Amino acid sequence: MSDQPDTATEPNPLEEYAAGIAERLGAEGSSAEFDTVRVDVARDKWVETINEARKELPFFSWLSAIDWSKDTDVGEGVANPDELEERFEVMCRLSSVENGDGAIFFTTLSKDDASIGSLTATIGGAEWHEREAHEMFGINFDGNKNLVPLYLPDDFLGNPLLKSYPLIAREVKPWPGDVDVEGLPETDEEGDAS
Amino acid sequence: MTSREMMHRSEVAVSVELETPDMTLNIGPQHPSTHGVLRLVAKVDGERITEVEPVIGYMHRGYEKLSEVRTYAQITTLVNRIDWVSGFANEVPFILGVEKLMDIEAPERAQWIRLILSELFRISSHLVFMSSYPLELGATTPLMHVLREREYILELIEGVTGGRFHPNFNRVGGVKPNYGGGSQTKKQSMDLPAGFFKSTLEAMDRMDQICDDIDTLVTGNELIKARTVDVGIIPGDKAIEYGLSGPNLRASGVAYDLRKVENYLPYDQVEFDVISRTGGDCYDRYLVRLDEIRESVKILRQAIDIIPAGPLQVKVPRILKVPVGQVYSRAENPKGEFGYYIVSEGGKMPYRLKIRSTSFSNLTILPWVLKDQLIPDLVAIMGSLDFVLGDVDR
Amino acid sequence: MNFWLELAIKTVLMLVVVLTASLVTIYTELKAGSHMQARIGPYYAGGRWGWAQPLADGAKFLQKEDLAPAKADRTVYGYAPWVVMMSTLAIFAVIPMGPDLVATKLDLGAYFLLAISSLSVLGILMAGWSSANKYSLIGGLRAAAQLIAYELPLVLAVVAVVVQAGTMSLNGIVEAQQATLFTVGGVEIALPFLLTGQIIGFGIFMIAAVAELSRIPFDMPIAESELTMGYLTEYSGIRFTMFFLGEYASMVGLSAIATTLYLGGYAVPFLPESMENFAGPGIFFTKVAVLVFIIIWIRFTWPRLREDQLQWMAWRWLIPLALFNIALVSVFKVVF
Repeated sequence: MSDQPDTATEPNPLEEYAAGIAERLGAEGSSAEFDTVRVDVARDKWVETINEARKELPFFSWLSAIDWSKDTDVGEGVANPDELEERFEVMCRLSSVENGDGAIFFTTLSKDDASIGSLTATIGGAEWHEREAHEMFGINFDGNKNLVPLYLPDDFLGNPLLKSYPLIAREVKPWPGDVDVEGLPETDEEGDAS
Repeated sequence: MTSREMMHRSEVAVSVELETPDMTLNIGPQHPSTHGVLRLVAKVDGERITEVEPVIGYMHRGYEKLSEVRTYAQITTLVNRIDWVSGFANEVPFILGVEKLMDIEAPERAQWIRLILSELFRISSHLVFMSSYPLELGATTPLMHVLREREYILELIEGVTGGRFHPNFNRVGGVKPNYGGGSQTKKQSMDLPAGFFKSTLEAMDRMDQICDDIDTLVTGNELIKARTVDVGIIPGDKAIEYGLSGPNLRASGVAYDLRKVENYLPYDQVEFDVISRTGGDCYDRYLVRLDEIRESVKILRQAIDIIPAGPLQVKVPRILKVPVGQVYSRAENPKGEFGYYIVSEGGKMPYRLKIRSTSFSNLTILPWVLKDQLIPDLVAIMGSLDFVLGDVDR
Repeated sequence: MNFWLELAIKTVLMLVVVLTASLVTIYTELKAGSHMQARIGPYYAGGRWGWAQPLADGAKFLQKEDLAPAKADRTVYGYAPWVVMMSTLAIFAVIPMGPDLVATKLDLGAYFLLAISSLSVLGILMAGWSSANKYSLIGGLRAAAQLIAYELPLVLAVVAVVVQAGTMSLNGIVEAQQATLFTVGGVEIALPFLLTGQIIGFGIFMIAAVAELSRIPFDMPIAESELTMGYLTEYSGIRFTMFFLGEYASMVGLSAIATTLYLGGYAVPFLPESMENFAGPGIFFTKVAVLVFIIIWIRFTWPRLREDQLQWMAWRWLIPLALFNIALVSVFKVVF
């Protein structure tokens, strides 16, 4: 469906597009790996950049965050823990309604000062997404008037999607490990699988 | 108590009630017409709603946290259950994202099977809408007729995948290869069941028939029109601002269909139209879905002719490790744009999986569109947005 | 005969007739409605045809616990179903099923009917208010608004018939429809009012009747998918049965009124006088059955109207039409 170009020999049209967007918006960097256009934005210019980008990519798709942390109580953790900077990344995807263009805008927040401007002044749909990011990660959105929990009950303590937040069920009963029910064609020994 | 005391008490109660201009009405979470456990806290002035706040999260199952402790094959099983009416369509973007990270491409036959199953689930999901929407407006008959026809589609799906609602049919690198029984046929891959194409064509004839029946019973009906025309109008720019997608967006004048725009499955080899209307009211959303059933029937008839023979799955290692990378892959779910942002750090499980679920974004517009509407219109508008709580709450 | 004995016999007979008719109507709705919806309907109760289903439902309701909400006004809550039942049953006291088969021959038959049947609004308001439930309140108010709005076209349509018949007595109206209009080759032809200029009136009456019954397409008060039964939400057991039976008895009652006023009542042409008392009920109930079936048919085909659309239809459309109908009929009566 999509060819991965040989590195450094063929220009990837998507990378050119990403670079073009980053230049127009005055962003810090861009990339287009795996057909996903990524634009890095400075934290204090988050709201203006997004509003400016909406002129060419008007469709607000979603907004969320990633917790980069070494303290992984849950899951496998990062590939290179020594090189990891602990931070939050807030991401927002905007896309076009005429063709397949789209870009995901990233900004980095440090863990001690996890707050960023809110997009709700111009994008009505951002309110729920920001509420979810707030309750799941603890990120504060300045300017969001309704930053109450969206999914979680009122008396819930903690931010569930942080890597340090344990899965209670796994505390009680440890993970049984990989249980493969069905073998794959060429590597299987028995004939029947159902 | 004496009648004098009772009279006094009721007078006091009446005067207290009459003082407050607005009444706060709690609709749900258990309610016949909220498509699941959705709670609406509505401030009501007589019959007119002044303000609505939806309270969601009753079905929050923690998909994104769970995905961090599941292997990719296990996540495929889980994500069927996000939007349970269109089970297969939830898996497709996830598998495509993983395949993109691993730089493998599924064989052609597998892609066509994915296309056929996606369209079958699209018809099934729209038929559920066709049956439940008139029911909310008060017409009780289309429910039975439409669901009877939907059984034919579900039987087809069950014949291929073994499951009616949660097929769990995708594998990284293709679709599930069915086995023949016994050790003699150990290497034999018998994929689509015998007679599948013939029964699909028969089912498609029935789908055309039920679309015509619904047209007669519901579309031209003056009362349905009186309940849905010019009710809940969503202009195109508001739809774009709130992230509305799928038939809701197309009914507001924006003819955007991911099947034409993203080449995630071989849709460029079949001919079909993108249905869109300009009004943006409930009637248009209903008509768009009705016509989309007809388009899906067209696509399926062509797909059955085109589907090539071939293997069903590329060889992948038994213990699947996905290389480091981040990818966003999306597809056109029956309800709209459905996407996954996969952050992989080279392990067996993703580091972070963000699910862009359609109904969540579709529902964000609810406080805006329900302002100053009447209570019966609330039901009409919510029904026309066609959301599923599993999709909203993940 | 002794006055009290006659009264007792008439009451018992009337109750038996009404309740049997209601049960048959309930069964027809279950079965015919199911077939319209591609289902089978009651199947087990009473053998292959499920005819005992309404009886089984009734027996189930009778043995239910007597519940009432804690904050409900017990007296009003208890009386509401009786008011509705009473106003419905009283209709049958004046409807003739044969020249002499009528409980009382009132000279003001039509007037009495309209007055008594409008008492049910009171019962519904009592039910909605006393349930101490916001949904019931909204449902009760909606119902009251709807019923009051549709009383007017009902009354005006009946006025047109009264003008044409020249009498308010129901027996008199039926006899007026047997009056010979013209002779064709020695055969005297008499036509029911439906065919002699009351077709508009019949339409208005039937629409208003369906609205009075709070049935789809006018069932906003009990909009199940919105307000979970409206004013009936807090009722269960015997009280609910009374409302339920009351609705079906009203259906039969309003169809009976329509039959008497428009379709000629218990009379058919070419029936000898002596047979009228004997065959009257059969003919009468056949006509009633046709109208009841039409009402059931409408329920399963159409969705429901919104409250304001319903009011708009009554005030802006039906009432002017009914007034025009009266004017038309009066002109024709005077001229011809």
